Amino acid sequence: MALEIQKVFNNESNVWDISLAGDVDIVSSVELKENVNVLLDKEEKGLHINCEELMYIDSTGLGVLISLLKRVKKNGNDIELTNAQPNISKLLKITGLDKIFIMK
Amino acid sequence: MNDKISLSIPTKSEYVSVARLTSSVIANNMGFDIEDIEDIKVAVGEACNNAVLHTENYEHTFDLSFFAETQKLIIEVKDNGRGFSLDHYKEPDLEHPKEHGLGIFIMKSLMDDLEIESQVGEGTSIRMIKYLK
Repeated sequence: MALEIQKVFNNESNVWDISLAGDVDIVSSVELKENVNVLLDKEEKGLHINCEELMYIDSTGLGVLISLLKRVKKNGNDIELTNAQPNISKLLKITGLDKIFIMK
Repeated sequence: MNDKISLSIPTKSEYVSVARLTSSVIANNMGFDIEDIEDIKVAVGEACNNAVLHTENYEHTFDLSFFAETQKLIIEVKDNGRGFSLDHYKEPDLEHPKEHGLGIFIMKSLMDDLEIESQVGEGTSIRMIKYLK
């Protein structure tokens, strides 16, 4: 499945609200990185990523999330991942990334 | 049961999803549960990512084989890319994550057995096994 990215700036919480649907893999991770970097170019804020419809992620996707985290942390911000499916949560746990991102 | 399914796949990233889907169908047919099927999909994806990322020529192909046996699924991924030095592989420091280097660690964590042979200039061969519970 391809990747759909919905994004909107949340003025109340002062973060980018992003929803991912589909797969983040060797193909779509490139698109994800470009898309989110464009958002951060507009506003260097944190990211809240709703993963409810994220069905698959691999090391290429995790690498993109790590690179985005490094960027947002430079500005004192964080990345929050919410509603992750069991398979996604498992991968985040195995890689220790559940301690690096804010999991909700 | 002793069935072999072989694919020859172009070393292009858009075909990695073909490998993942094939692996999930085979694993499902063998009776693996949902969690194991997801593990296999990710591990196969990682191995194929490796073949694509290490290729020297996008006109090349890599070989993906599934050996469906009664108690286990064996998966082999062989490429003729530039290979890498296993001596230089270090387990990732999970407290200081980097953008690259998680692929082998993930394969090792999700599969029951993993063997990798690779030499610079000679391609890479990955063999992994998942046992039916």
